[in-house]
Amino acid sequence: MVRAYSQEYVYKHPWERVTSASWRKYADPENKRTLSHILEVDTLNRKLDPQSGKLYTTRAITIHAPGPWLIRKIVGQDICHCVESTKVDAQARSMQLNTRNISLQRFIEVVEKIQYDPHPDNPNGWTICRQETSIRIKPLSALASMAEKIEQRCAEKFVQNSAKGREVMERICKYLEAESSGIAL
Amino acid sequence: MGPNREKKGSHSSTSPCANLRAAYHNCFNRWYSEKFVKGLWEKEECISEWQKYRACLSEHLDDKHLSRFLEAEVVVDPAIQDDSGNPVDGASVGGRR
Repeated sequence: MVRAYSQEYVYKHPWERVTSASWRKYADPENKRTLSHILEVDTLNRKLDPQSGKLYTTRAITIHAPGPWLIRKIVGQDICHCVESTKVDAQARSMQLNTRNISLQRFIEVVEKIQYDPHPDNPNGWTICRQETSIRIKPLSALASMAEKIEQRCAEKFVQNSAKGREVMERICKYLEAESSGIAL
Repeated sequence: MGPNREKKGSHSSTSPCANLRAAYHNCFNRWYSEKFVKGLWEKEECISEWQKYRACLSEHLDDKHLSRFLEAEVVVDPAIQDDSGNPVDGASVGGRR
């Protein structure tokens, strides 16, 4: 069973600002309340190609996703580690983020891809965000019907969270905009 | 080594590094928005912040799945490794595979 979702969203902010906001999305303490399911974000690795202006980063994202009691019992934990790999090409003005879970892989695989590019209609002012999420529940015949429910919950949670994530992104963009024009919020 | 590992799955494993993490991330965020995206990418910055933070992580990161990324030559996601300048694979999903 695989479910795939794709979403598009336009930020009325330049690519430079939106991608700056993306890095701050989880770490900003002000946003801890909105994105309360995110527990910790650690940078595990980074590499800069100084010739071409490409930046590669690997981060660990720890998510708290408590499920119903029975699921917790089976899964044995309600903490999920995800790994996010990012590539930013400053010259081409492109940012790609791929996130996948590394915990609970026996049960579920979630892959989220996000790409930020300048919007073709207003490349210096707007940014288009394309997001794809795919959720695959591993076949466990005895648990098939429950798996269906988990998948449903998971999908709902993802859709909710990406809406919350956009809210946070918009807020950080506004903040960065104010900061860059020298206004303190 | 992780001395007092409490419950399995405890999420506070890297919290001893919280201050070093914040210092590095602040430095990185500034460098990213003020230099990197403005074309000043030749010089890597925040090096001492990164070294301290990384040393702390390698001491406290208990999760084996995660700690291997510390050692890895970066970029673990094959979809992102593609450096041909093309967009990542599956640029259009739309439905199920």
